[in-house]
Amino acid sequence: MKESFFRSMTWMHTWVGLLVCWLLYLIFFAGTISFFRDEVTLWNQPALHNAQAPQERISLQRQQIIAGVDYLKTAAPESNRWGIYLPQERESQLIYAYEKPRPEGKRFGGWQEHYINPKTGESLQQPRETKGGNFFYRLHFDLHYIDVRTARWIVCFASLFMLVALISGVVIHKRIFKDMFSFRKNKGSRSWLDSHNVSSVLALPFHIMITYTGLITLIFMLFPYPAMTAYEDGIRGLFNDVTPTNVRTKSSDEPAPLTAVESVLDQVYTNWPNADLTQFAIKDPNKASATITVRASTGTHVRDQTPTLLFNGVDGSLIAKSVDEFSSTEVFYDSLTALHTGRLANPLLRWLYFLCGVAGCVMIATGCIMWAKRIRERMKKDQRPSFGLKLVEGLNLATLMGLPLATSVFFLANRLLPINMIERADKEILAFFVTWLAVALFALFKRAKQQWILLAWVNSIACISIPIVNALTTNGNIISYLLNGQWALFSFDLVCLISAVLFIVQVKKLRTHRQASVSNVRPSRVAKNKLREQSA
Amino acid sequence: MHAQSQKNSQSFILMDKIKQYYQSYAYQLSVISRFFAAIVGGYVFTSVFTALLSLILPLKKSDAVLLSISLTIFVYSCVFIWVFAVKSLKTIWITILLTSSACGLSIALLKGWL
Amino acid sequence: MSELLQFSLCLLAFNCFALAKFNHYRDVFKVRPTQKQSNQFVIAAWISILLSLVLSVVEHKGYGGLLFCGYMALSVLLLMIFYSFKASWVKFMSVINITTIFLSGLYISVF
Repeated sequence: MKESFFRSMTWMHTWVGLLVCWLLYLIFFAGTISFFRDEVTLWNQPALHNAQAPQERISLQRQQIIAGVDYLKTAAPESNRWGIYLPQERESQLIYAYEKPRPEGKRFGGWQEHYINPKTGESLQQPRETKGGNFFYRLHFDLHYIDVRTARWIVCFASLFMLVALISGVVIHKRIFKDMFSFRKNKGSRSWLDSHNVSSVLALPFHIMITYTGLITLIFMLFPYPAMTAYEDGIRGLFNDVTPTNVRTKSSDEPAPLTAVESVLDQVYTNWPNADLTQFAIKDPNKASATITVRASTGTHVRDQTPTLLFNGVDGSLIAKSVDEFSSTEVFYDSLTALHTGRLANPLLRWLYFLCGVAGCVMIATGCIMWAKRIRERMKKDQRPSFGLKLVEGLNLATLMGLPLATSVFFLANRLLPINMIERADKEILAFFVTWLAVALFALFKRAKQQWILLAWVNSIACISIPIVNALTTNGNIISYLLNGQWALFSFDLVCLISAVLFIVQVKKLRTHRQASVSNVRPSRVAKNKLREQSA
Repeated sequence: MHAQSQKNSQSFILMDKIKQYYQSYAYQLSVISRFFAAIVGGYVFTSVFTALLSLILPLKKSDAVLLSISLTIFVYSCVFIWVFAVKSLKTIWITILLTSSACGLSIALLKGWL
Repeated sequence: MSELLQFSLCLLAFNCFALAKFNHYRDVFKVRPTQKQSNQFVIAAWISILLSLVLSVVEHKGYGGLLFCGYMALSVLLLMIFYSFKASWVKFMSVINITTIFLSGLYISVF
């Protein structure tokens, strides 16, 4: 639309990016934390801190399942669902769960969980009610307060804009790879541009991959049409075709004894010798329609569909088995989802994912700050800022500084709210959003450099207080985690401390630059810190 | 005579005003139309194109669907960028409408809806 | 150990890419590079980066490709910091980098 291809791409990059940058920041921020979803959940449940998976984790699984079924037989013979969740590397507790009686008119009654320390076999205290890392996981694509479907559509379009902005970004920065390692310090919007470029180039394959695969995870909502044209019954037909274990059975109330678990397990281990099982679920136990679903871990294969076996719960016969060998298209499609969720990642790759996610947040943050800076620099001395500029600046302050603060408050609320509070998990989330709202209101009135400094201080104090409050309210602290080798908890606290330091660096940078009236590079850092802190 | 010319010039001024109005908003309108073409037009084109693809790919049914589903986003983003790269809005709209209806028509023929 | 080798190869590759650039070479060695030197750096960089990619993919398949992307991100981040803030340290870093490659390579070939 502009005179040249190059100009129109620049125009598009700017406006497509600016339209959705704050939402994208939220999505990237929450997504980056979600890479450590299990670790964050663990941190939020101090009662489970001391559970450790034993060395011979896999060889114990058979016994744990048998004991679990025995436990559930006595604890909840009437329940509609039983589940045994086996200890994994990232979630070391053993869980026996059953569905609570369904209230009138509800289709699901909620889980009653019984936690066990797999090393000693003793029951663990019931952990406090919290959403933990799952809150950020859902926030990443459900945006919490909005209706789920609407939220996902919004997220989809924001991601599409992101993908378009990424592609046009590569097009307009022909020199991007030439200047890859240079970074001009203290040069106003130049420095912002450089940090924008560096953070995007250094993880460019990741950014494109994560945006594309992110859209793929929601693709059946966004584009159901191919499946609808090819199959009579649409998406369900496709799923039944691709996942043979996707068998629906009618529940019946006729009682029937449960088959011997040992014989089912024998079949499991004949099918998958040396399997690392994750889940052993029984639907309608002690009824004629009983089915048993056994799932195994995918390990580090780039594959998302979990290997599954489905058994008849009365006679113990194998009903369906997930496909072992995918066709090349299935591999392609399935690996896209696997790449996005990163469940396959070992600690090294997980941290690299995290690093790239932080780079993504920095990229978005610097992008929206740069827009405001440029307009400011072009403005004449006596010119009053336009409404648009004020809006962008306000949103920048509210989002870039508010979101990390809200996250810190979420974790503090987890430790400080009374343990037996009613609807405790919701109160934690309320604390998160109230904090964010407060920052947004604050940004409504003032959003000058002074306010950035103030919020950076508040943020760094909040970050430091997380490990301190943790040490005061639980039995462990950052030093004991280090000594006991509880790496998940140790890194969480460490990331909080690193973020606090980075916020202080930001304060310093902002201060020194105030006199020189040159813009500073640090707010991006701040964003980075926040993320780090959260994700640990 | 004098009054007539005054009236004439008045209507000219009115026309001019309308023209000016249009011109001052023409840019905004073209931008909105372009975004609309990119988002909605791109969506429609991608939907029918990939739906057609899932029918004509010489693969197993589930494979054809999965492959075309994996390619949707790629197609969509290409269309999106193309919309912003082409100068004339008319070309964009005509191309999108023509190709989409062609794809839709072929689906209808293949499925025997017509 | 093989992860370390793959990462240090990747780091070396990007270091060479950076040194092949006029400005960065001058920042580090205080003299101008000749055209021939630049070319040599580029060739060395490509060999090293391909080696790193091949090693990761051979060892871990698709997972290795992912790891390789992560290595690239980390290398560029490190180099960006060094070249922008501490150009004088690049020499030491390069020496450490090459030593790591040899040591980890030796370790893998021996055990």
